[in-house]
Amino acid sequence: MNLKISGLEYIEEVKNGNISAEDFVSATIDRIKNIDEKLHAFLQVNSKAVEQARDIDKKIKSGKKVGSCFGMPISIKDNICIKHSKTTCASKMLEKFIAPYDATVITKLKEQDAVFVGKANLDEFAMGLTTEFSAYGPSRNPWNTDYVPGGSSGGSAVSVSAFECVASLGSDTGGSVRNPASFCSAVGYKPTYGLISRYGLVSYANSIEQIGPVTRTVKDAAFLLNILSGLDPNDNTTIDGGGQDYLSEIDSGIEGKKIGIIQEMMSEGIDPAVLAATNDAVSKLEGLGAVCENVSIDMVKYSVASYYTITATEAGSNLARYDNLRYGYDFPVEGFEFNSYISKARSKFGPEVIRRMILGGFVPSSGHAGKYFLKSLKVKSKLTNEVNEAFKKYDFLIAPTVPILPFKIGEKIDDPIALFLVDINTVMSNLTGIPSISVPYALSNGLPIGIQLLAKHNHDKSLLKVARALETTVRLPEVPI
Amino acid sequence: MVTEEEIEQVAKLMKIDVHDHKEYVEKVHDMINYFDILDSAGVEDEEFTMKDLPLSSLRKDKHIPFEDKLIEKLNNYKGSYVRAPKMV
Repeated sequence: MNLKISGLEYIEEVKNGNISAEDFVSATIDRIKNIDEKLHAFLQVNSKAVEQARDIDKKIKSGKKVGSCFGMPISIKDNICIKHSKTTCASKMLEKFIAPYDATVITKLKEQDAVFVGKANLDEFAMGLTTEFSAYGPSRNPWNTDYVPGGSSGGSAVSVSAFECVASLGSDTGGSVRNPASFCSAVGYKPTYGLISRYGLVSYANSIEQIGPVTRTVKDAAFLLNILSGLDPNDNTTIDGGGQDYLSEIDSGIEGKKIGIIQEMMSEGIDPAVLAATNDAVSKLEGLGAVCENVSIDMVKYSVASYYTITATEAGSNLARYDNLRYGYDFPVEGFEFNSYISKARSKFGPEVIRRMILGGFVPSSGHAGKYFLKSLKVKSKLTNEVNEAFKKYDFLIAPTVPILPFKIGEKIDDPIALFLVDINTVMSNLTGIPSISVPYALSNGLPIGIQLLAKHNHDKSLLKVARALETTVRLPEVPI
Repeated sequence: MVTEEEIEQVAKLMKIDVHDHKEYVEKVHDMINYFDILDSAGVEDEEFTMKDLPLSSLRKDKHIPFEDKLIEKLNNYKGSYVRAPKMV
């Protein structure tokens, strides 16, 4: 069974009767069993996946209406709720939490007959960018298992890149879909804020985070966006995408489009190999008829500080519910005074979550809010204005997804500021709400490099077109695992 | 300049035990110091707006039937009450 096909190829193969959903899902589960001990992409594997695929085959054979995924095996980041299954957020705090309902994205995928092969590893509560902060141990980069796969949706990207599923859903608060996609050579897509419902996603920083697909191709990302996007009464931040078909006209090209190369994302600290790959990508886009020019977005320099201040503030509020009275684990109340009980219960949080909670209490606190939190909101506002100005002149923006190559596990874990700066190219689209996508582009010393493209608010369809155009210029080797 | 004592005080108010000073207080201190870069952003006169959400956009406040009894999923409950530690 050839597992190395895209989602749309899988659908064609099943539709044409060349393969069955059961055989494909069964082979996928076998591959997970064979290689995931090395990679640790999964926190749980769905023991009923093959049975569910068999049921879909029966529907196909009996001529019943079948959903558009035809049993496509998908992994789900473990901060997205699937009813009656564990949702741990890679935290000991939620080790035994069973979700009582489906996230909207899960409901939509179930309606389209997707099969969930398992829950993917992440940094605890999605706080991190290497998956090293998972309470259950790090995921490993399938291109070189000594290296981080990126994060926080590291398990999602690893599982797609290593053919342990066809596609995955992650969540992106500051690059958490695009960063691991770049490090693992997959497509990672953060839609316009509000295009996909967040209902059932365990909250980290609600005002900027989005669920997004990790896929093998840009077309697969467009296919999933067709299923996942839309207004949701359970998430009143959702927006109407206008019922667009994101897959149609995706190959229509980019002749005459203007692309701005963000200078602040191409300068200090950038790895020469990443810089060379980005310049090469720009040349390829020019070869396809685009006009590329340098553009400056001054507030990029301050975006990481603004991002961490805002996210920590929202995280501090969101994580307050983990007091073992509302959410938590089995821990008897006898013998504790109220405050000491909650402090004791919270000792199950990992170090990064605790640091961000403290930060989140500090930066908006009385006497400090003006210096940190309010100033961060002002940076966010000015950054949005600068980006809107840039889009008056350009159709798209381009930059490397991450300015450096994947690094070794453990290399940066004790240096929070070094880790902050890995986010510098990705946080802008979260702070401004615009869509962005990471396209696998090159390898350097066997490690992947992704190129990020960004578009105007709610211009996801045209973003997918330019990403598809760039993708057609690339031929990369298969993952060596 | 933020002091480590100020950070410890916030952690205490948030009911977080910072037994590992280096791992929590010192690293948070480094993070907050990095945020000082915001002082040079020149945004003092910048306005920021919050997105308005009209009441009409909110979900109706009505009961949604739920098949499970959530309270039965808790370990510490009595009747319809959640058991909590003593406050006084």
